[in-house]
This record gives sequence, structure tokens and C-alpha cells, in this order.
Amino acid sequence: MLAVVVATWAGRPITGERLVQMLVLALPTAGIYALAATGLVVVYTTTGVFNFAQGAVGMLGALLYWQLKVADAWPTWIAVVITVFVFAPLLGCVLERLIMRHLAGKDIVTQLMVTVGLLLGLVGVANTIWDPNVGRAVPTFFGIDGFSIAGVILTWHRLIALVVAVLLVVGLRFLLYATRTGIAMRAVVDNRGLASLAGVPAPRVSMVAWMLGSTLAALAGVLIANETDMFSLGSLTLVTLVPAFAAAALGRMRSLPLTYLGAIILATAKVFSDLFLSFGGRWAKVPDRFPEIMLFVVLLLLPASQLRFARITTMRARARPASPRHAAVGLASLIVVVPIIGASLSATNLSHLTEALGLALVALSLVPLTGWAGQVSFAPLAFAGIGAAAFARWGGGAGHPWAILLGAVAAAPAGMLLSLIAVRLQGLYLGLATFAFAFFTREILLDQPFAFAGQTLNTPRPHWFGISLEGDQAYLTVLVVVFAIVAMGLVLMRNRPWGRRLVALRDSEAAAATVGINLLETKVAVFTLSAMIAGLGGSFLAMFYTKPSAAKFEALAGLGLVLQMVVGGIALVAGAVFAGVFQLPIQILLNRFPDIALLRGLESIAPGFAALGIIQNPQGAVVAIGEGFAPLLPGRSDARAALGAKRQRTADRYETESNELGLSIPLTDRVIADVERALGASSELVAERR
Amino acid sequence: MARLVINAVSVRFGGLLAVDQASLDVESGAIVGLIGPNGAGKTTLFNVITGLQRPSSGSVDLDGKSLQAKKPHARARLGIARTFQRLEAFGSLTARDNVLVAAEMRKRWNHERYDAAATTDHILELVGIAHLSDAPAASLPTGNARLVELARALAIAPSILLLDEPSSGLDEEETDAMGRLLSQLAGEGLGVLLVEHDMPFVMEVCDRINVLDFGKVIAKGTPAEIQGNPEVQRAYLGTNVEAP
Repeated sequence: MLAVVVATWAGRPITGERLVQMLVLALPTAGIYALAATGLVVVYTTTGVFNFAQGAVGMLGALLYWQLKVADAWPTWIAVVITVFVFAPLLGCVLERLIMRHLAGKDIVTQLMVTVGLLLGLVGVANTIWDPNVGRAVPTFFGIDGFSIAGVILTWHRLIALVVAVLLVVGLRFLLYATRTGIAMRAVVDNRGLASLAGVPAPRVSMVAWMLGSTLAALAGVLIANETDMFSLGSLTLVTLVPAFAAAALGRMRSLPLTYLGAIILATAKVFSDLFLSFGGRWAKVPDRFPEIMLFVVLLLLPASQLRFARITTMRARARPASPRHAAVGLASLIVVVPIIGASLSATNLSHLTEALGLALVALSLVPLTGWAGQVSFAPLAFAGIGAAAFARWGGGAGHPWAILLGAVAAAPAGMLLSLIAVRLQGLYLGLATFAFAFFTREILLDQPFAFAGQTLNTPRPHWFGISLEGDQAYLTVLVVVFAIVAMGLVLMRNRPWGRRLVALRDSEAAAATVGINLLETKVAVFTLSAMIAGLGGSFLAMFYTKPSAAKFEALAGLGLVLQMVVGGIALVAGAVFAGVFQLPIQILLNRFPDIALLRGLESIAPGFAALGIIQNPQGAVVAIGEGFAPLLPGRSDARAALGAKRQRTADRYETESNELGLSIPLTDRVIADVERALGASSELVAERR
Repeated sequence: MARLVINAVSVRFGGLLAVDQASLDVESGAIVGLIGPNGAGKTTLFNVITGLQRPSSGSVDLDGKSLQAKKPHARARLGIARTFQRLEAFGSLTARDNVLVAAEMRKRWNHERYDAAATTDHILELVGIAHLSDAPAASLPTGNARLVELARALAIAPSILLLDEPSSGLDEEETDAMGRLLSQLAGEGLGVLLVEHDMPFVMEVCDRINVLDFGKVIAKGTPAEIQGNPEVQRAYLGTNVEAP
């Protein structure tokens, strides 16, 4: 770090005055970060759910405040009260009731992806209500007045931000340590089941936590709204999102004092670099990425987590993987059907379909990594970006089919790097580390001179074996064949020793180690394989775009791809097809009816709503589709038998239970739930039992 | 002939001394019991032996070589296998695949030429769960899932086997079968360290018994000696009169 400071030193002397300036500038921002991070920590510690949508709630708060204050010209204090004290708690309450309550005891991938879906969904909602292309400015409280300290103006607005943050810090301390609610909250943190038995109303505590978290997020959003020059929705979400992650990570998601320290470090580092350092040229964007860098570094420095024991929640039986024979039939039909569909589409829609398949190839990289080995990664599109850059820079137009492997080879070292982190981190922390990595890759790595260098790179489509791939139709055909080959390879691998080993690793790392599985070696291998598949996908995307740039590989878009993959079914290659083509129907409709605003909204909101399906259907939509559809196919008597057996099992269970209890009505899940509610069993216990 | 020696192992969790200078040993062909009240540190000791928990002090040696620097998978490859008190079967794999994974691993690290699939089927037969081969482990009742773990542990052909409450969840008949199986395996040269709460079962199958209380080994001896030991009765049986 010192080396970075020395290398970028701008040569301005450090004076007492400048240091005071630094604090004056940094502390209010630190306060706002602290507010956002505190909301995160309170919710995480009391409910076990890490809320990716925290920043989006802040964004909604900021936009609503703008709407009331600026567009509708309401008095400031009314706008603040409505936004922060009415809208935000209500939103938290609704979210807890409708969604978050059902996440208790779910596995980490489901928990994370539902809040990621909420993040994308809320951004979509905001996009629909407030046109993202219109600039909006929020005035500061009390204008630009303030008082001067050491030559810089501390505006009233920033003073208020600082004072509010400090008051809330003190207030929360009081709440958590000196009130019944707070003590109940901390009890729930320590042991939810036990707290329930001791009479702590865990559902109510969880609701209070969400309302509080939401309020803090909205407050942070309102306070920081005027600080962001670009009032675009994505950036507004991120202004508080990643800093809050980084600060909370320093406090290991638990300690509030360390979280505040994290917020202060982060805000100070930014101001310090503004005042004393100069990152020119290729590194110009580094100061803006301090939050991601700090998040990554903090996660690296966390003590290695204990080997993961299986938790009851992850012991749920999963869908059996497709047999190689069925997969071969399915993939062969894909090779036949997709080009035919492509031929019937208009040029624009054909292009959408081709891109969808490229993305599906990238999504395929998650099947072994997350689907089998259980390693959370939010960076598939980042690997694809690295692959695309490598191919565009060195393989573009080379014409030789083997050049396509450049992307895979280039992405492999990045995969290896992340795997070394995966050995130390798990679940949420690994997800956050890969998220930070995705941002860093997009914003800094891909802009380097050896990558995209901030431009688009000409990447003509080649002629392979005398066939021109310039037309979308030809390219689509090649792409679907490549997808089918990679997918088939994965299906075969799943039924090989190595595939079984990965699943064993996911189900119980501790047990996997005690039968002699080398966790390090296995993780390195699966991360590298995954990165190579994504890199290969990146090469194909680069050729698809013909003029790719770093902007095609946004971190948030990658998050969306992972989400769609989870919705589809992350352990199955069919899930990757689902993930790729998820947006296609909306895109095609939008292409046909460009004026229907609802469709435009749907395009951005759909991923969020799809995420809600994960709660009901954690194995993925393709499993449900398959169970319903396969029995209709000729030659799938096994599927028919399976469906029949499933129905019979359900019927049997209800009948036996009813008979044993001497009941005259079938004992359905709903009835059981009603009885349990009447008996006062908490919903968590019921959820756990399922 | 293999010999596992636990030498003055202590494990401290914050202010709690979970294991306190515990020493015991297990050699090929012996079934050694490890009993003690809940929270006595039995599972923690298992975790130390298998490398999942680093001891605060003390050492674990196998055949005279320290396991100190060995990772869990390396210890497995040296011949230490275990089952878990709280089930750790690979839930989404079938019972057969649970065992197969282990058999394949052994083949991999030994560079042995043998048929992992046939070995797997043999072990499933031996443990008596061949009829459950195709059931996902997560769908099995506790007792059966424990047998899957036992089969999985056997599949790496261990020289020392650590069993953490193998009989819980089994009915009387199954427990008897388990006892016969352990005796048979010991007869073939396997060393077994058995944590168990079912006293008749322990007294029946064990050659020697170690009693752990508050992390300390408070008594060692044959089943008869242990049953007659007043200190054991006070610490272990006396608190909760539950005559075997």
C-alpha cells in the first residue's frame, strides 16, 4: 500500500491544515457509509440474511425524496419524514413479510440470490418510474451555506449527515444493549431456535430489524443523494452499496464499532487520494474503486473459516442430474432446433438469440462451480470479459479455430487466483469477494492497455474450415454446437469420479476431507475449469459483438446472469440455456411493440420477480419444467413413472397420517401449518422442519 | 500393524478447556471405547485426530510419526477414517455414490489397480445397506445414514476407524449387527475408537475403555474395571441414574 502511495504521490506537502481539511471532507461521508453499513449489519445479525438490496433501498429513498422535494415541491421536512420514517419502514416491513421471512434456514445461494433479485428488481422498478436518462439534482439541506474550517466549507447538510450518524451510532448502542427489543435481537443472533423457546418473538424481532435496516438505508440514500453528480440509478445504488459491504466486512458483519472504523477508513482513503495522490492515465479510476479494493483486501485478511460441516438445510435431496443419454438427446435437439428458430427470426431477434446463447455458454461455467461444488461466484461475466479481451487483442481475425481457446487460457489464471481465496472463504464472504473481483475486473483490469484500453476492439468473425461465420445464422449454428459440446462434456464429467467429488465437497467439506479429498486441489481445479468455460464464452461473445468493449461485461449484468442461472437451475446444463434465453421473449416482444412502457419495465423488473421463484423452487425452474414436460415425451416412460410415484407418495403420506390420526380430511401441508400456528409453534421451527 | 497415539492433547475454546491433557492410544485389532457425559470433549478429540480442529497443545502420532502438520485429507490417506455424530453424509449423492467417492479417492491416492465399483458394492453388502444403494443419502432415516457413513469410512480401507455414536438411530437388532461387524473388522486388523452412549453395547464390544469427563481422561481399563470404578460412576453414571 505504501508503494502505491509513494508511486502516486502528487507532491503536495502534508500540513496540519490539509489534514484537518481531510477530516472535514471525509467524516460526513464516513457517517453516511456507516448508516448504510449499520443497516446491513443489523439485518444480517438478527436474521442471517445478507441484504444485497440494501443499496437499492437507499436509491429508492433518494428518488422518492427527489420526487417529493423537487418534483412536487413539498417542504423538505415533510419529504424527509415521509421518505425515511414512513416509506422506508413500510418497505422493510413488506419485504420481511412477503419475502425475507421465508428465507430463514434456506441455503446460502438461495438467500443471496433472492436479495440480489430484489436489488435488480428494485432498480428495475425505479427505472420504470423514474426515467434513468434524465438528470436529477437534489439540493442540499439549507443550501450551500455552512461554516469554514481550515479553508474548506462544511455545509450544514454535511454537518447534519455527520450529527445524524453519530446520534444513530449512540442510539443503536443503546437499543441493542439497554432495551428489551435490543436484547431480544441479540438473543436471536446467538441462537434463533433457543431464543424462540425462551419466548423471544423471533418473527417480530426479524421485522423490527428489517424496518430498521430499511430506514437506515433510506436515510443514507437521502443524505448522499446530493453528493453524486451522476444521478443515474445504477451508480446511485452502488454509491452506498459496496462501501457498506466493505465497512461491514471489516466488522465481520457483527461488530458495529469495527464497521464504523471501516466506514471512516474508506471515506478517508478517498479524500486522502483526492488531496495528496494523483492516479493518472490507466489508473485514473482506482480511487473510485477503493470500496471494492478494500472489500477484497478485508475479506482476504479475515481468518480462514473453519471447514464447513453440512447443515441440515443443505442436506435436502437435489434433483438427480440428467443421465448422459437424456442429455445427449436434449442437446442434439438443441442443435437442430435453435438454428431453425434462428432462421425464422428477424435480423434483430436473431442477433438477440445469438447473444443469448453466448451468455448461456458463460452461464454454463457456473454448473460445476456453484451447482456441483457449491462455490458461490458472482464473477462469471468478469471471466468472460477477460476471455473476450484476450481473444480480441491477440486472436481477433486470426482465423485459426484454435485461437478461440485464447479466451479460455487467459481466464484460467484469474480463476486460479479466486480459488486460492475460496480455500479461505465460504458462502457469503466468497460471494462478496467474487463480486468485488467482478467490479475490479470491469472497471480497472479490462481498461488496461493490454486489454480493451477503454476502447472497442475490432474482432471480426473468422472463416473456419472455409465457412464464413460473418452472418448471424452461421455464427448461431457454431455457437449452439460449441455449447452442446461443452454441456455434454460437463454431463459426462458429473457422472465421473471428479464430478462426484465436487458434489461431495458441496454437501460436506468436513466429510469430504476425511475421505481423502484434497480441498485445495479440488477447488483450484473447479475454479480454473469454470473460468476457462466462461473465458471461452467470452471469446465467442467478443466475436458476436465484433466490436466488444469492457462495458459489455458489467458487474451488475454478471450478477443478473448468475441470478437467472439460479432461477433456471444452477446444477443443470439446461439451467444455463434458461439463463441465456431468459430475457429473450421480452426482448422479442419489445422489438415488436417498442412503445409499450410496461414491457420496458418488465425487462428490468423480471429478474427480480423471477428470484422470488427460487424460494418455492430452489432446484430451479428447469426441474419443474422437466418434471411436467418429460412425461409427455415418447420414450420417457421413466419420467412418467417418476411423476406417478411422486403423486402416489404425496397421496400416501397424507392418507397414512390422516388414518393414524383418525382424521376425515387429508392432512395437507396447509392444514399442518394451520395447526402449528394455532399451537403457537413459531414459523421458523415449522420452516426448519420442512 | 498401525498404532494411533494421542499424547496429552488439550483444546481450548476461549475460556473453555474442552479437552484437557487427554492421552490414549488405539492399535490394530483393538476396539477402544471412549465414553463420557455430553460435552466431555469426545467429538472435539475426534476432530483433533482427523485434523479438523487444531489442538492447543499435545500431539497425535500414527505409527510413531506426528500428524501435526498433516491436513485432514492427508490423515485420511494415512489410514484414519471416521464417522460423524451429527450426520455428514453427502446428502445429494446416493448411498452408493457416497461410498464410491471414497473408494475412488483411495484408488487415486494409492495408484492401486482395483475395481472401485466392486469394492463399493462389497462394502454396501458388508454393512447391510445394499438395498438402499440408489436412495439419496438425505432421504434416509438417521440410522441408515449412519451406516452409509460407516460404509464410506470403510471404503478408504482405513487402519484406524473413529466412530462417533454409530448406534444412535439403530434398533436393537441393527445395533447387534453393528457389534458383530466391528468385531469382525477388528479381527481383520482394524483399530477402532468408539464413542458411544449405549453402555451395554460399549461393554459388549470394547476391549478397553477410556472415560472422559470435562476434557480429562479420568479412567482407563477393561469394561469390567470401568464398571467397577467408583470415580467413573460418580462422574458419569452417578449424575444420571440410568443403570445399564
